[in-house]
Amino acid sequence: MPRSWSSSMAAVWAVLRKECRSEWRTRYGLNAALLFAVASLAAVSFSAGRLGERTDVLAALFWIVLLFATLASMSHAFVRETENRTMLLLRLVASPTEIALGKLLFNLVFLLVVEVAIVPLFMVLMSAPPPRWGSFLTVLGLGTVSLAASSTLVGAVIAQTRGRGALFAGVSLPLLLPVLAAAVSGTKAQWIGVGLDGEIRLLIAYAVALLGMSLLLYEHLWED
Amino acid sequence: MLWRWLIFIWIAAFMIAAFAWAPLVPVLEATTRVLYFHIPAAWVTVLALGWSMIHSALYLWKRDMRHDDQAAAAAELGLLFCVVATVSGSLWAKAMWGSYWNWDPRETSIFFVLLLYAAYLALRGSIEGEEKRARLSAVYSVIAFVAVPFLMFVVPRIYFSLHPEVIDLSRGKVDMDPRIRICFSGMLVGFTFLYFWLQSLKVRVTRLERRALVS
Amino acid sequence: MTAAGMVTTPQTVSLSAIGLTHRYGRRIALQPLEFELTSPGVVAVTGANGSGKSTLLRIVAGILRPSGGALSFALLGKGIKPLERRHAIGLATPELAFYEEFTARENLAFLAETRALAQPGQAVQNALECVQLETRADDRVADYSSGMKQRLRLASAILHRPAVLLLDEPGGHLDAEGRAVVERIVRQESTRSLVLLATNDPEEMRLATKLVELNGRGLGGPS
Repeated sequence: MPRSWSSSMAAVWAVLRKECRSEWRTRYGLNAALLFAVASLAAVSFSAGRLGERTDVLAALFWIVLLFATLASMSHAFVRETENRTMLLLRLVASPTEIALGKLLFNLVFLLVVEVAIVPLFMVLMSAPPPRWGSFLTVLGLGTVSLAASSTLVGAVIAQTRGRGALFAGVSLPLLLPVLAAAVSGTKAQWIGVGLDGEIRLLIAYAVALLGMSLLLYEHLWED
Repeated sequence: MLWRWLIFIWIAAFMIAAFAWAPLVPVLEATTRVLYFHIPAAWVTVLALGWSMIHSALYLWKRDMRHDDQAAAAAELGLLFCVVATVSGSLWAKAMWGSYWNWDPRETSIFFVLLLYAAYLALRGSIEGEEKRARLSAVYSVIAFVAVPFLMFVVPRIYFSLHPEVIDLSRGKVDMDPRIRICFSGMLVGFTFLYFWLQSLKVRVTRLERRALVS
Repeated sequence: MTAAGMVTTPQTVSLSAIGLTHRYGRRIALQPLEFELTSPGVVAVTGANGSGKSTLLRIVAGILRPSGGALSFALLGKGIKPLERRHAIGLATPELAFYEEFTARENLAFLAETRALAQPGQAVQNALECVQLETRADDRVADYSSGMKQRLRLASAILHRPAVLLLDEPGGHLDAEGRAVVERIVRQESTRSLVLLATNDPEEMRLATKLVELNGRGLGGPS
């Protein structure tokens, strides 16, 4: 019974909606991420004072706050399924690739929501100079795609290990370091006002490579 | 058994040649000698990690535990050679740049590779069940190898680095004294065989352990 | 009875196992097994605790890759790969858990949408009525008793009228009325599909027309 493209899309869409609704009811991930972001921003701006001139430090801080606020809750998408033993239910109705794509889209939505809160907060609390929005949002968007792609795959793997959440950050970060390096450098470049084509090309290539490889790997994620 | 002695003699001979016969590169002076360890170790790091990824992909395709043994052994050896490359590079940096660690892009990228494979081994350690461990770590290994070319080749070229480019692909020609080139190639070959010998040893040990466990 | 509205054309299924076996590491979970089954009909899968009844059902469902031997699953003469079997099977097993923050109806609606059923609302309503959960269908699963959860498992398995229905200990946690529901489902589905019933309950075994016995040593009795 080969499935058509449209019914696969229906499954992906259903998984995405289920995730959103579940997150909306419980709000575990969102609350944790926002709380973490606000707390760490407050701590940094309190202890570091005004950094308006130091755009290199600002760029690094921005990505570190974003990464840590989201990483803490992004493993949740799969760990929750394992802990509530609902993974079997999901696997009975959708293929591994459909499940993973649904979760990937959810992770993207989740990151966008957190970013909508973090970006203005960061700009205000750190009294950062106004960014060049076009370049800034391009770097942010590309970084977000890579972050979501790697979190989805690593999250699915991590949920099946003994430690579950514990290893997630440790295993995700090495994969995200190239993204982090390019994104920090790109964010700094847009504040200084120099070109950032190299960084953007790197971010695009990395996001495409991660996504492409993920698509090939998803079907091996669950087998027992 | 024969292999072991051949590799030993080969590497010893080129080591002596590198110290006694080959000249020094002007700017690098005595630190030229690090080259004969550092670059072959870095090469074996990439080779081992590539070997690990290929066998991970083969495992996912064929589902034969022998591929997983290869992948795991290669990742461990890759990590070992990565440490050798990092430490020798760091010693060189102390002599040339004045400090052991400067977060030069080259240093940064090899450090990331180190982390990547430490994470792979940590992941392996935390999965129960042989099949599941093989499958999930293969998935991670394949995705991790996406990062390796970026770390090893792309990042250091985008950011300014003080690291010397001994083999500059963009110039197309290797600018090197023939004696240095001979020693250097000899060490590359020696390290490559050393790696494959260690690899076969590790795989055999894993297999024997499994047989002991089943019977 | 809601059965009348749910009748669809039967789809012939044939299952055959050759030397099918599974082990988790060193532990043998399923002793080598051979069988040949075709729909429609009810097959009882029996055996001691730990002889591999649930393992066999998972392999048939395509969510567990057997470590040895082969199982072929053919629908209308066409072989179906494990990853595609989910459309043709319904599985109710005690390990199946639902999203506790959703109601039973929302859970089933999610399953129906993910399966891309033609009329999800109608299918959900039919399944709920069939297991007699419609009065509590809008309560969150977190508030369900274990018997009600078992009914929900049955509902999820018959939601899409699968060609192969896999029921693992279907009578577990159920009261007399619930057991009657199981019996009705089995009788009703057996006219058009293949029902595999993993059970050691003599009442449930009576429903079967065929028997697959697993002779694993189970908890360690004489082999």
